[in-house]
Amino acid sequence: MSIIQTKDVKKWFGDFQALKGITMDVAEGEVLVVCGPSGSGKSTFIRCINRLEQHQEGQIIVDGIELTNDLKNIEAIRSEVGMVFQSFNLFPHLTVMQNITLAQIWVRKKNRAESEEKAMELLERVGIPEQAQKFPGQLSGGQQQRVAIARALAMEPKIMLFDEPTSALDPEMIKEVLDVMKELAKSGMTMIVVTHEMGFAKEVADRVMLFDDGMLVEENTPDEFFNNPKSDRTKLFLSQIL
Amino acid sequence: MVDLIKKSAKSLQESLFSSVGSSVLTIATTYLVINFFRGMLGFALTSDKDWLAVLNNMQLYMVQAYPEEDFIRVWLSVGLTFVLAGLSIGIWRSEARVKSSQVFNSFFKGGLGVLFFTIIAPTNASFMGNDGSVITEEVLSMDSRLGILIPVVIFCAIFFSIRFTNVSFTVNSSDMVFFYLFIPVALLWFVKLPTIQLNQNNERIIPDPVMPIASSTKIPWTVIFVSFLVSYFIGMYLKNIKSIKSIMSLSWFLLPLLIFSWIFKKPQIDMSVVLGSDLPIFGVFLLWGFLVITFVNNALFKKYYSTYLGVTFLLTLAGVFSGLPMLAKTCLLLITLFSVVVPAVSTSSQGKRSLLIVWAVALVTLTFLLRGGASDTGIVVPGSSIFGGFSLTWLLAIFGTYVSFPLGVLLALGRNSKLPIIRIVCTGIIELTRSVPYITWLFFASVTLAVFLPAGVEFNLIVRVLMVTAFFSGAYFAENIRGGLQSIPKGQYEAADAIGMSPFQKISLIIMPQALRAVIPTLVSSAITAFKDSSLVTIIGLFDFLTIGKTVIGNQSIPVNFVGHDRENLIFVAIVYWIFTFTLSRRSMKVEKKLGLGER
Repeated sequence: MSIIQTKDVKKWFGDFQALKGITMDVAEGEVLVVCGPSGSGKSTFIRCINRLEQHQEGQIIVDGIELTNDLKNIEAIRSEVGMVFQSFNLFPHLTVMQNITLAQIWVRKKNRAESEEKAMELLERVGIPEQAQKFPGQLSGGQQQRVAIARALAMEPKIMLFDEPTSALDPEMIKEVLDVMKELAKSGMTMIVVTHEMGFAKEVADRVMLFDDGMLVEENTPDEFFNNPKSDRTKLFLSQIL
Repeated sequence: MVDLIKKSAKSLQESLFSSVGSSVLTIATTYLVINFFRGMLGFALTSDKDWLAVLNNMQLYMVQAYPEEDFIRVWLSVGLTFVLAGLSIGIWRSEARVKSSQVFNSFFKGGLGVLFFTIIAPTNASFMGNDGSVITEEVLSMDSRLGILIPVVIFCAIFFSIRFTNVSFTVNSSDMVFFYLFIPVALLWFVKLPTIQLNQNNERIIPDPVMPIASSTKIPWTVIFVSFLVSYFIGMYLKNIKSIKSIMSLSWFLLPLLIFSWIFKKPQIDMSVVLGSDLPIFGVFLLWGFLVITFVNNALFKKYYSTYLGVTFLLTLAGVFSGLPMLAKTCLLLITLFSVVVPAVSTSSQGKRSLLIVWAVALVTLTFLLRGGASDTGIVVPGSSIFGGFSLTWLLAIFGTYVSFPLGVLLALGRNSKLPIIRIVCTGIIELTRSVPYITWLFFASVTLAVFLPAGVEFNLIVRVLMVTAFFSGAYFAENIRGGLQSIPKGQYEAADAIGMSPFQKISLIIMPQALRAVIPTLVSSAITAFKDSSLVTIIGLFDFLTIGKTVIGNQSIPVNFVGHDRENLIFVAIVYWIFTFTLSRRSMKVEKKLGLGER
C-alpha cells in the first residue's frame, strides 16, 4: 500500500517551471533515493511533500490526506513527516535537549519528563547522548545533523524526508550521518533521500530515481540503476559522478 | 615592588608616549581634562554654590506635592520594590565569588581617584557677584587639602600593600550588593550635614548649622535596608521551589501596576460600582474563559473555531469603541488573546486545570488593578496630577515600555504579515507615528486627542500622554524588531514548519526569541531614549524630574530662596539620569552575554 502518491505534480517559480509533471508513489517502509544534477527539481519535489513549497497543479496524497490549502491538513501531514535539511536548521537559541523536546511538548502535547526521556533515547540512538545540554553552535556539523535527525524522529513520523543531508558536511563527518540513516532504513522507516551519496543508494535503497530538468527520467532498483540503466541521461549522469 | 613599578612605567611609555604625535596628544588631553575638572571643582566648592538647594528639596524631586501625611505610601512603594529585589537576588543568587584582591584593588583605585581630585582642585575660584563684579575666594585651603590627602594616602597605601601580604579570601558577588548598600545606610546615622534652619523672621541662619540627618529619612531607609536583607535570606531559602522564578518575574511585572493603581494612588473605592459593575463583568468573562477552556478539544468548537475568533474579534473592536466600562473593554481584549492562545498551548486535562487557574488569577488581578486605577484618588494635591518629579518620570518610563514593547512586537509582526490589510495598517501606524516629532504628539495628547475619542470617553492627561508615548516608542521598537526578524534565516521558519508547529508557536517559540536577541542593543538604546525623552512632558505642563530641578526649585523663593540655583540642580539631575541609563546599558550587556551562549 502506498503511503505517498503524487499525480502529475507541476510547479513554477515565476516563469521557470521547476517540476514538469511528477507521478510516483512510495510504499510504506520503502527507502527511495532521489538523485540528479543541481536544479533538476529533486529538492523542490520533496519539499512539496510536506508543503514547504506549494505545488500548483497535480495531486499529492500523504498517508491518505491530500495536500490542499487547508491549514489543519498541512499541520497534520507535517507532524507525520519528518524532515532533515542540508543546513541542519537547528534552533540556535535552544539546547540540543530543548531542540528535540520542543515539538513533542508543544505539538504532541506530551509532558516534559516523558519527552526528555524520549529525547535521551533518540540521542543514544544517533550516538551523542553526552551532548544533550550543549547548544547547537558548540557541536560539529556531523553532530548537528544527527541532532536534526533526532529532532525529526522525536515526532515519531511515519515518513522521513532527507534533503541532501550530507552535502554541507566534511567527508569525515558524512559517514557518521550515513550510518545513522542506514540504521534508520533498516528499522523499516519510510524514507525519501535526496543525495549524491551513491554508496548509500547502492547499499540501502529499495528504489533509485533520477530527476533531470523537472522530470522523472528513470526509476529503477539500485542494481538495475547502476549496472543496467534504461535511459541515456542516467548513463551520462553516472559516468560523471562515479 | 621595583619590578612592578618598572613594568608599569614601561607599559605607560608604550601606550602614551610611543611617538612624538602620541606624546603631544597625551599632554594636550591631560591638560584639557585637568582643567575641565579644576573648573568643575572650583564651581562646586565656591560659597556661591548652594548644594542645599538640591539636598533640601529631595522630597520635591521624588514626589513633588505628594502630601506628607500619606508618605507611608511612598515608603511602602519603595520598600516593596526593595523586598522584591532582595527576594530576586536571593533566588538568583550567583555562586560566583569575588576575590579579596579585586575588592581591595577597587578600593585602592577609588582612593587614587579621590587623591587625583584633591591634588588638582584649585585653591582659589572666582564667581560673578550680585553686582556683576568678579569675586575670587579661597575654596580649598592648604590645611583642608592636607586634611584630605594624608588619610587618603594612608588608605591607599594600606590597600596597595595588602597584595604583598597573604591576606586572601573570597566574597560571594551577590553578598557584595548588601555591603555596598550598607555603607550609605550606616552613614545616615553618623553623618551630620549642614541643614537649612530659619529664624523667627523666616530668614535663613547663615552659616547653616550642622545637624544629624532627620529621623524621617533615616528610619524608613533603615527599615527598608533591613527588609531588603531579610528578604534576601528568604529568597535563598525559597530558591528551590518549583517555578519560583516565573512567579518572581510576574511579580516584577505586577508590582509597578500595584504601586501606581493602589499604593501610590490611594483609590477611593465606591462599593456600589464594585458590586454593580465589576463583579458582573468579572463573572461573565470568567464563565466565557471557562467555556473556551472546556470546549477547546470539542470537534464542533474546532470546526467553527475561526468563525468564533472572527466574531470575538469584531465584538472586541466594537466594545473598545463603545461606552462600556474600562474593565469590560480590557476583558474583551484579554479574551480575544486568550482564545488565540488556548488551542496553541497544552490542552491535556492537567493543562486545562492550570489554564483555568491562570485565567481566574489574571481576571482577579485585572479587576483589582483596574478598580484602583479607575477610582478617584484620595490624595489631595495642587495641580493636575498626583504624580510629579521622579515618580512621574518613573511612571512614564515603566508604562511607556510596558505598553510600547508588546505593541512594537505586534506592529513588527503585522508589517511582515502576508495579509495585505494587516500589513498596510501596521505600516501606516509605524510610518505615521515616526514621521511626526514626539513633542507634536505630546501636544496632540494634551489638546487634540479628546476630539478623536468617542463622545463621553475621557482620559486623564497622564493616560493620554501614555497612549501617544506607547505608539511613538512602539513604532521605534517595531522597526528595531523588524530588523531582528529579517536576520532570521528562512531555514528556521522551515524547520519549525517541518515539525508541525502552528504559526503562533513558530513565532513565539522560534522566531521571536532569536529576533529579539539579535536586537537587544538597539532595543536598549530605544528604551534609554524613551526614558530620557520622558522629560519632554514638561512642555504640556507636567512636572517631571528635570522640570522640578530646572523650573520649580530654580524659581522657589518661599520659604527658602533658591532662585538662581538651577545649575547645581541640573548637575544633580544629570547625574541621576546618568546612573539609571548607565545601569540599564550595563545590565543589557550582561543579558546579551548570557543570551549569546551557544552562538557561533
